[in-house]
Amino acid sequence: MSEPKKVIIVPCSGIGKSFGTVSRMVAYQVTEDDRPDSTQLIPLSLLVLGDEEALAALADNPAITIDGCQLACATKMVRESGGEVAQELAVLECFRRHRDLKPQGIGELNEGGQKLAAVLAEEVDATVDALNQEGAKNA
Amino acid sequence: MTDYLETQVDKFTFKVPTDRQYNSLGVWALAVGKHIRIGLSDFLQQSSGDIAFADVDPIGTILAVGDSACEIETIKVDISIPSPLAGKIVRVNPLMETAPETINQAPYDEGWLCEIEPLDWESDVNNLMDPDAYFIHMKQQAEEEVNKNE
Repeated sequence: MSEPKKVIIVPCSGIGKSFGTVSRMVAYQVTEDDRPDSTQLIPLSLLVLGDEEALAALADNPAITIDGCQLACATKMVRESGGEVAQELAVLECFRRHRDLKPQGIGELNEGGQKLAAVLAEEVDATVDALNQEGAKNA
Repeated sequence: MTDYLETQVDKFTFKVPTDRQYNSLGVWALAVGKHIRIGLSDFLQQSSGDIAFADVDPIGTILAVGDSACEIETIKVDISIPSPLAGKIVRVNPLMETAPETINQAPYDEGWLCEIEPLDWESDVNNLMDPDAYFIHMKQQAEEEVNKNE
């Protein structure tokens, strides 16, 4: 019996940047608290290194990318690794929709950043649920 | 076709078109018909980071040299963009409201901020830098930034 599909979550790896920190907070929130059974976190660094397990997971499952900035490294790297990006999300775009939630801080985000992460995590949760429903229909 | 001066500092490449003037912060001014179009230099947009919001002052706003013509909020900083000339704002780039990231993508073209009807352009332009002078100034700024981060 094959393993049930999981949605792969790939966040930005920008170190020292508030928007990168938000993207990683979102990824932890979704994969550890909100949807631990139906998602799997893959760090960008494993894709850059060509880690076989990470690439295999990406080959078999849809991915949601969470980019911090317009460089969109997570989305580009998933595509370059042969993965299917089911949805690409960007912290910057989310901030544009919620201007009052400006993220500041790096190791520890301010209240705005934490709230922005919570809002974006809800968007990712909804996408994960939609992908799972679609997968169940097609199974 | 516009010619550019170009330099590489560390891993960053910066361009300076030779058809306009600049203030020391890196705000450019270009005559377009009777009006002066203003925008951010490549160096200024790159050093400021991805732009989330660009609030340009509305049409009809009267500006003195140095008055803020626009407030920009990026993922790194909030900055006021000082007008390089005195005059009245007569046109605002509509993309600033719908797609401010255009500043990052095309700072010298589609990413312009607004057009100003000049009060005394012939006088104001004398206080701005020509492309060669700004290129040297910008290169020093860029090198200082890199050295600061090393």
